[in-house]
Amino acid sequence: MHDAVQVNGLRKSYGKHTVLKGLDFTVRQGEIFALLGVNGAGKTTALECMEGLRRYDGGDIHMMGKVGIQLQTASLPEHIKAIEAVRLFAKWNKTVPDKSVLESFGIYEIAKKRYAQLSAGQKRRLHLALALIGNPDILFLDEPTAGLDVEGRLSLHEKIKQLKSQGKTIILASHDMAEVEDLCDRIAILHEGEISFVGTVEDLSLKVGKQYNISIRTDKGIEKMKSGDINETLSILLDRYREEGTGILDIQIDRGSLEQHFIKITKENKK
Amino acid sequence: MNAFLYAMALQWKLDIRSKTLLITCYIVPLLFFAFMGSIFTSILPDAKNTLIQSMTVFGVTMGALIGLPPSLVEIYGGSVQNVYKANGVPISIGVILTNCSAFIHLFTMGSILFVAAPIIFGAQLPANPWMHFIILALLIGVSLSVASVIGLLVKDPSKTAMFSIIVFLPSVILSGIMFSNTLLPNAFQVIGMLFPATWGYRLMTEEVFRFENLLPLFLIWAAAAFLCALLLKRADMRR
Repeated sequence: MHDAVQVNGLRKSYGKHTVLKGLDFTVRQGEIFALLGVNGAGKTTALECMEGLRRYDGGDIHMMGKVGIQLQTASLPEHIKAIEAVRLFAKWNKTVPDKSVLESFGIYEIAKKRYAQLSAGQKRRLHLALALIGNPDILFLDEPTAGLDVEGRLSLHEKIKQLKSQGKTIILASHDMAEVEDLCDRIAILHEGEISFVGTVEDLSLKVGKQYNISIRTDKGIEKMKSGDINETLSILLDRYREEGTGILDIQIDRGSLEQHFIKITKENKK
Repeated sequence: MNAFLYAMALQWKLDIRSKTLLITCYIVPLLFFAFMGSIFTSILPDAKNTLIQSMTVFGVTMGALIGLPPSLVEIYGGSVQNVYKANGVPISIGVILTNCSAFIHLFTMGSILFVAAPIIFGAQLPANPWMHFIILALLIGVSLSVASVIGLLVKDPSKTAMFSIIVFLPSVILSGIMFSNTLLPNAFQVIGMLFPATWGYRLMTEEVFRFENLLPLFLIWAAAAFLCALLLKRADMRR
């Protein structure tokens, strides 16, 4: 798989405060890639440098394709109508808006509404539709579902998955770990302006020390435990139940959420 | 070009919808004209000779200095400027679009005054209407350039209003449109010379292109344009 984005030694300071201390990572073509980090880790600055919205002090950023940016809310004049924004972006991109895209994002329903009258979800949908007007190869999404209700969130997740299936490379920043886990192929974790991890969620769980949460329901009750070696633990438990004559009704094993891994790795970094 | 024209027409509509420009470019100047016109012409019959000029200078000064800065603050004080960058458009387009739009609004307001004043108050028309409109265009351009400096320099909307008024009030009071500025102490006459309204009013009432009246306007415009370029560069560098 080819790289869609290459970031080499990206550095950025605000006055004496260094925000990005030489980031190196690549984003592969057609994948959904997330930048994660606690507040102040530098993910928005990194994202804005990659988007071309912010100047950077050193390093290189290479984009292999046309870029589309889902701008944050409040980035359009409050009196502009949704359809006017679409037409304006289309004119600037020297293209004609794709009606099917506008339809799928429900833009026609809000066409005559002014930006200030739109709900948070409608604004996000509009910004995503605007980002797609130039038919970009690489799409940047900053907190794409922040402030949305469950329905809006799920609907937008579906849209993002559809875009991936169309071969678009998607780079997003999010605080929502469940969202990242659901959507992303790979993640990068930023900590104090440095990359502390790049890889899949599975890679992350291996790095932080895989720990399974095991829950077994038997005819005598529910037993819960954590284990680093699933084979050994299950083997011991099953032998014990057999000896005791305990009947097993249900076994649930989960490998720990991204959120748990993220908290663990950021805590380790702080030490 | 097509995109620029669409963006300009859109900006013109947005300015009307935002009401700030609508109020400062049309409603207040025209109400002031209706009110002051009736007072001036009834107390001082000679005021009819300069009513169009004085009301035009007032309207242009108000529309530019109070009306334009909020539009620029909306663009450059927040994240609206990212829209330009995200679409590969230079961020200076915001200043250009808002200036062009405000220019059209103010020119329209000036034209309304030109037509209405003789009908309503029997005001005397300028001897050379073409020259009047050329000076009007010049005054609008210079006033908007000063207003752009305020809009780009001050990012906070409440502070912008304060700065606008700090420039607007002396512009109007010291320009000679309310009373002859020869009645003012020398220091105030000198301060008055810093504002485009003073020179615009002189040009309009004298109806002659005097170099000594035109030069200050060009100097103010050049200084304001230079400052705007610097402020835009600073805004771009800071990102």
